[in-house]
Amino acid sequence: MAEATAPKPSSSVKLVLLGEAAVGKSSLVLRFVNNDFQENKEPTIGAAFLTQKCNLPTRTIKFEIWDTAGQERFASLAPMYYRNAQSALVVYDLTKPTSLIKAKHWVAELQRQASPGIVIALVGNKLDLTNETSSSNSLSEDGDEEVAEGDDTDGDARKVSTAEAKSYAIEEGLLFFETSAKNGTNVTEVFTAIANAIPETSLKGARGPGAAQTASRSEDQSRVNLTGPRDNVSKEGCAC
Amino acid sequence: MFNLSSLVQKAQSFIDPTQALNISASDRNPAKSTLFRHQFRLPDSQTPLQEITAELTISPPVAYSPNATQGEKDKDRDRGYHYAGKLHLSESYLCFSTQPTSFLQTASTSTSSGFTGQTHGAGPGGNGFTLPLCAIRRVERLHSQSYQFALAITTWNGLSNNAASETSKTPVLVQKITIQLAGTRPACERFCDGLKKGLKSGVGEVAKLKRVVSECYSEYLLQGDGRKEATPPDAGLGMIFRYPGDAKKLRDRSKMRLWGEYLRDYGRNITLIRQPTYHKLIRVGLPNRLRGEIWEQTSGSLFLRLENPLQYADTLQKFEGRDSLAIDEIEKDLNRSLPEYPGFQSEEGIGRLRRVLTAYSWTNEEVGYCQAMNIVVAALLIYMSESQAFFLLSTLCDRLLPGYYSTTMYGTLLDQRVFESLVEKTMPILWDHLVKADVQLSVVSLPWFLSLYINSMPLVFAFRVLDVFFLEGPKVLFQVGLAILRINGEDLLDASDDGAFISVLKSYFSKLDESAHPKSENSKLRAVTRFQELMVVAFKEFSGITQSTISEQRMKHKDSVLNSIENFAKRTSIRNLGPESKRLGVEDLGALYDRFFGVLYERQMRSQMILEETERRSKASRSRAAEVVHGLPENQVIEKGRVGLGPSPTLMDYDGFREFLSGMARWAISDSPSPSEKDSVSVTPKHSYFGNSLRRREASLSPWSEGNPEPADHEFMQRLFRRWDVDCNSSLTLQNVVTGLAQIKGKGDIMGSITYFFELYDDDGDGKVNREGILRISEALLFLSRRGLEGSLTPSSSMVGLSEYEAGNGAQVDMIQGNTNERFLSSVSAFIRRCFEYADPDHPTNQEEKSASEEKEKEVDNNAFDIGEDSDEEEDLLDLGPDAPPKSPKHRKKSTGLGGPPSPQKATRPGGRSVSIAQAEAANAALDPSKPLHITLPTFRMVVLADELLEQFFESSFPTSFRISDKMPTPGASGTSSLTTFSNLGFGRASTAPPNGIAVGGSTAGVVPPSKGLRGVLDNIVTDGMRVAAEVRRRMDEAQKEMEKNAVHRPDEDEEEEEVVIGPRDPERKSVRSEDRDLLEGADAEVMSIRGSEDIAKEKNESLSLTAGSNAGRLRRGSAASSKVVEFER
Ligand SMILES: Nc1nc2c(ncn2[C@@H]2O[C@H](COP(=O)(O)OP(=O)(O)OP(=O)(O)O)[C@@H](O)[C@H]2O)c(=O)[nH]1
Ligand SMILES: [Mg+2]
Repeated sequence: MAEATAPKPSSSVKLVLLGEAAVGKSSLVLRFVNNDFQENKEPTIGAAFLTQKCNLPTRTIKFEIWDTAGQERFASLAPMYYRNAQSALVVYDLTKPTSLIKAKHWVAELQRQASPGIVIALVGNKLDLTNETSSSNSLSEDGDEEVAEGDDTDGDARKVSTAEAKSYAIEEGLLFFETSAKNGTNVTEVFTAIANAIPETSLKGARGPGAAQTASRSEDQSRVNLTGPRDNVSKEGCAC
Repeated sequence: MFNLSSLVQKAQSFIDPTQALNISASDRNPAKSTLFRHQFRLPDSQTPLQEITAELTISPPVAYSPNATQGEKDKDRDRGYHYAGKLHLSESYLCFSTQPTSFLQTASTSTSSGFTGQTHGAGPGGNGFTLPLCAIRRVERLHSQSYQFALAITTWNGLSNNAASETSKTPVLVQKITIQLAGTRPACERFCDGLKKGLKSGVGEVAKLKRVVSECYSEYLLQGDGRKEATPPDAGLGMIFRYPGDAKKLRDRSKMRLWGEYLRDYGRNITLIRQPTYHKLIRVGLPNRLRGEIWEQTSGSLFLRLENPLQYADTLQKFEGRDSLAIDEIEKDLNRSLPEYPGFQSEEGIGRLRRVLTAYSWTNEEVGYCQAMNIVVAALLIYMSESQAFFLLSTLCDRLLPGYYSTTMYGTLLDQRVFESLVEKTMPILWDHLVKADVQLSVVSLPWFLSLYINSMPLVFAFRVLDVFFLEGPKVLFQVGLAILRINGEDLLDASDDGAFISVLKSYFSKLDESAHPKSENSKLRAVTRFQELMVVAFKEFSGITQSTISEQRMKHKDSVLNSIENFAKRTSIRNLGPESKRLGVEDLGALYDRFFGVLYERQMRSQMILEETERRSKASRSRAAEVVHGLPENQVIEKGRVGLGPSPTLMDYDGFREFLSGMARWAISDSPSPSEKDSVSVTPKHSYFGNSLRRREASLSPWSEGNPEPADHEFMQRLFRRWDVDCNSSLTLQNVVTGLAQIKGKGDIMGSITYFFELYDDDGDGKVNREGILRISEALLFLSRRGLEGSLTPSSSMVGLSEYEAGNGAQVDMIQGNTNERFLSSVSAFIRRCFEYADPDHPTNQEEKSASEEKEKEVDNNAFDIGEDSDEEEDLLDLGPDAPPKSPKHRKKSTGLGGPPSPQKATRPGGRSVSIAQAEAANAALDPSKPLHITLPTFRMVVLADELLEQFFESSFPTSFRISDKMPTPGASGTSSLTTFSNLGFGRASTAPPNGIAVGGSTAGVVPPSKGLRGVLDNIVTDGMRVAAEVRRRMDEAQKEMEKNAVHRPDEDEEEEEVVIGPRDPERKSVRSEDRDLLEGADAEVMSIRGSEDIAKEKNESLSLTAGSNAGRLRRGSAASSKVVEFER
């Protein structure tokens, strides 16, 4: 992406990934952050933290990504990580119906417990395991597609229909994507969509020339009601 | 009322402060024997039996020479190392430690837990040995002048080499240990007797010992000349895929040589003697091939393996081919465990990992599988065999990392809290910075603990941490963690957010092999690596962080961690309860959750305590031999079942359900708490556990919670249980309970409530309740009302309409309560009467009028008016009555039409005589107990709505009687006297009237003195559900006989006779009664109008003067009807 000549205002956005074990949360992050994929990714223990910038036409968003562990018993750790998150990626594996149920639980949990106004995207991952000619706009490498088909001997492994997940997402007011961390389908799109969906007012740590003071102050105020004792600390001064 | 936190507090006051998380349930003397086991890393089967102060002398091994003279033996003893300490004897171990701990009952806690303090690198066991008795070949008592009492112990050291030794030129070196006992002569004698006994029973274990030892690499290492032929024991995947790290750089060869010497001189595996060199050798890093063996030795998993060497193989075999959730989870992670190690890119490595994780998940189904275990086990498998890894994993989960991998991971969360508090204490500036910068320390530290630094540090370094960890225990994880933060303190102070914080540590870990002081002039200093520095800081600077520090901190934070886990669990499970639950408020759901799990938790605690107590007693009676550990049993605390501690029971059986109900509803409390002299097995089935011997402590061993009232047991409760148990597995989940209550409380409409009740008694779901069911419903009504009615009640008939909907109006209600309860009894009696009056015969004798069979099946409401449904006959029947009001037939006819689609036949055809006779017969048949009959839902509804109180019962009392979140009004202090019975009512009076004297006598005569008469009988039966059943049924049968008799003699007056039986005569009876009927029909019509049939509504409006024809009208009509009924009853 081309850098604008004048520095664009930049702000950081806390994003948390939630979803059943092995649906590909860490792989999505790895794809987004390093444009890489590892077949045997170790399970996330507790949580992992990564950052990545996302350039929008008018501003730069720095994602502070909290990738959590998916196994059920790690769920009680999650509140620690989604605390103050402005956005969330709730991921399911579209070859595993149970993972969508788990995703719905997470959506409900976030809607009730996380910051009000949190932007949630529902993401069905492992799109490469379906044999559909992807309707997505960013499938560029035919090679990857073939590999995926080869892996999946009897064709379509999809168990969750797009319609089902999408109608749920609409009902709950979520962004919705089907992705493949393996071949990269729709991955940056998810993050970009989230970046665009974050309301300007809730952006923190705006570092555009002159904008800093007011932005951060108003942001602090808007967070007052959902903060714990440690929460009122501005993230300013973060070097990136 | 149940209160989790107070219970926990109570429980905690019994916990030994050093034992925060190691709560062993199977042991009657937890504090001392758990400590003992922890010090010597012994299996749970061991308890401290004897101890004595002693001095250990270790001489270098000598060639075995049985003919050595006494003088030679003396000489041996004087050479070698001497250690002063304590000698301990358990069932199958002889342990010596330089740690002067004592596990005598009289010893103070600090004496017993001395090993949890600073150990100076020696680990809790100190210098000494942990010798299985079966490894002792021979014990000699030495006679010498200088010592009163000395023992020379010869071990089976090198056992597995014996066969080879015959061909080998190397003489077998015999390990000999000399111990001088320092105690009074009797004390020494006693100890020796105990030892003798133990040795005898240990003889049988030698075969096991052989097997276990043969899997130890040290045996192969020390084999001498024979080694070329034998294949070495499995020392992990490293033997196939190489061990991580550069062997040269790790100086593996020299380490191996040093270890070889040590093991040769001071015993190997099972016979090893711990001396300072041993601990030092561990500190500098174990050699690859011995690493696994030393880990299993220092952690004590070796002793677990010795106890049951085949457990691993057996478990795999036993569960072969079976599936589980854990196995699914394991499969997901097999390819994701140390993927960079070549062994785990192969089927061999993956297969081993799969088997170990699977076997463990079967042996500990509560833990099953937790992510991170895959990483830990993968690491273990590089250095040890599958079986060794299996037992070491058990030791990790049960002892070293308690609660880490549990389903709630409370141990992990707790230790994170502990770690944070240690950081705050030892590095306050850094801590302040973390707080200010809002950095989440646990993001980095949680994986350190959960996967033992294995995927945080390069493997070679993580393994060195593990070397010390298995020797010294969990505190090592904290020491290393603190050291990491201390060393990186300055950089971390510059990190202003999570990202920067994480990257500082990441880069630190990647440079652990570099020089800690690269710029130093001093070449020695320059040679010190960062990892060495880390070890020094961890174990020198943070040497003050001991096991007891950790235990104290755990104790301190345990409550808040468990509470927050439980809150989370509660929130989650309430949220996932499904749409039905929305009918109950959030507050109610929360309260239900608390009640539900409260009951389960308490019950589990109680049954556990009962079990322990039973065990203790049987044990005490079996052997009163244990010399040391006697005295009073310490108060045992079992926190099993607490939600926060992991898998807790989620299913409630019927007894639990009774207890659950009794916490919410007054009627569910027993009137007659099981007296101790009465063996009431049915009420308290668990008493059967104990037989007679436990009588004296019955109070504390009651299966019901102390202080809480004992629950009742009534058929109604069983029905409710079965109804809620939708999965038909004789137990209820929270979901079942919530759905069940939502259906009762959440409806808020009387029809739903009536239907629900009816369905409870419609066993086969065919829409009919038979004679038996009617009686049972009546019994249930009596049962439910015997402590008075709750909810909104009409104070009296004269106040109808005024206060009907003033809910629970304090004083006023109280004032009229007694009266209301009495009236309710008469309502129930009227209910029974009406039910039989309107019941349908199961096999109608005259069905030719039934124009369409589908009509009958589909239109339940048709059945409601079976008497009227067969239409024209009804008119005739009524016509037969001499006083029938002229208006009545018209009403009847119209209302009949309401029963179903208007039939032209009915409207036009005049009633014929023959038909009416048939109907009369049918009616008579309905009264004959020998002829089966039933009521349908509409009939039931009609009968209920005919009575103001019954109506209110279903509308309000019944749903209100389940008090989910509000406090239950305590039942009157004088149990039985507060109960309302028949005796106060006209019912009783009327009953005595019939000449055949049905009331007194019968089956209850023996129980109740005849002098007390009916009143006594009834007083008594209301306190006993079963007898109520018998009595009501008997009375009803009698009543029916009477009716039948009258019907036969004077068929015209059957109704009248019926009145005679149940109520007093009333001159106005007839007219009231017919009006009453109109109203009843109106009630049914109302039901019909709800169903939306237009012509029905029309007809109804025409026919029912009292009905407004709308939903709102029902209320007025209902009240009016009830008031009339009440008048009539007087
Ligand atoms: N075919 C395919 N496989 C994927 C994709 N994304 C992830 N995977 C695989 O799924 C497995 C799990 O991926 P992770 O990214 O570790 O899953 P996770 O959700 O982070 O799992 P936890 O950390 O255990 O919660 C890995 O073996 C990945 O290679 C995808 O888009 N397509
Ligand atoms: Mg992950």
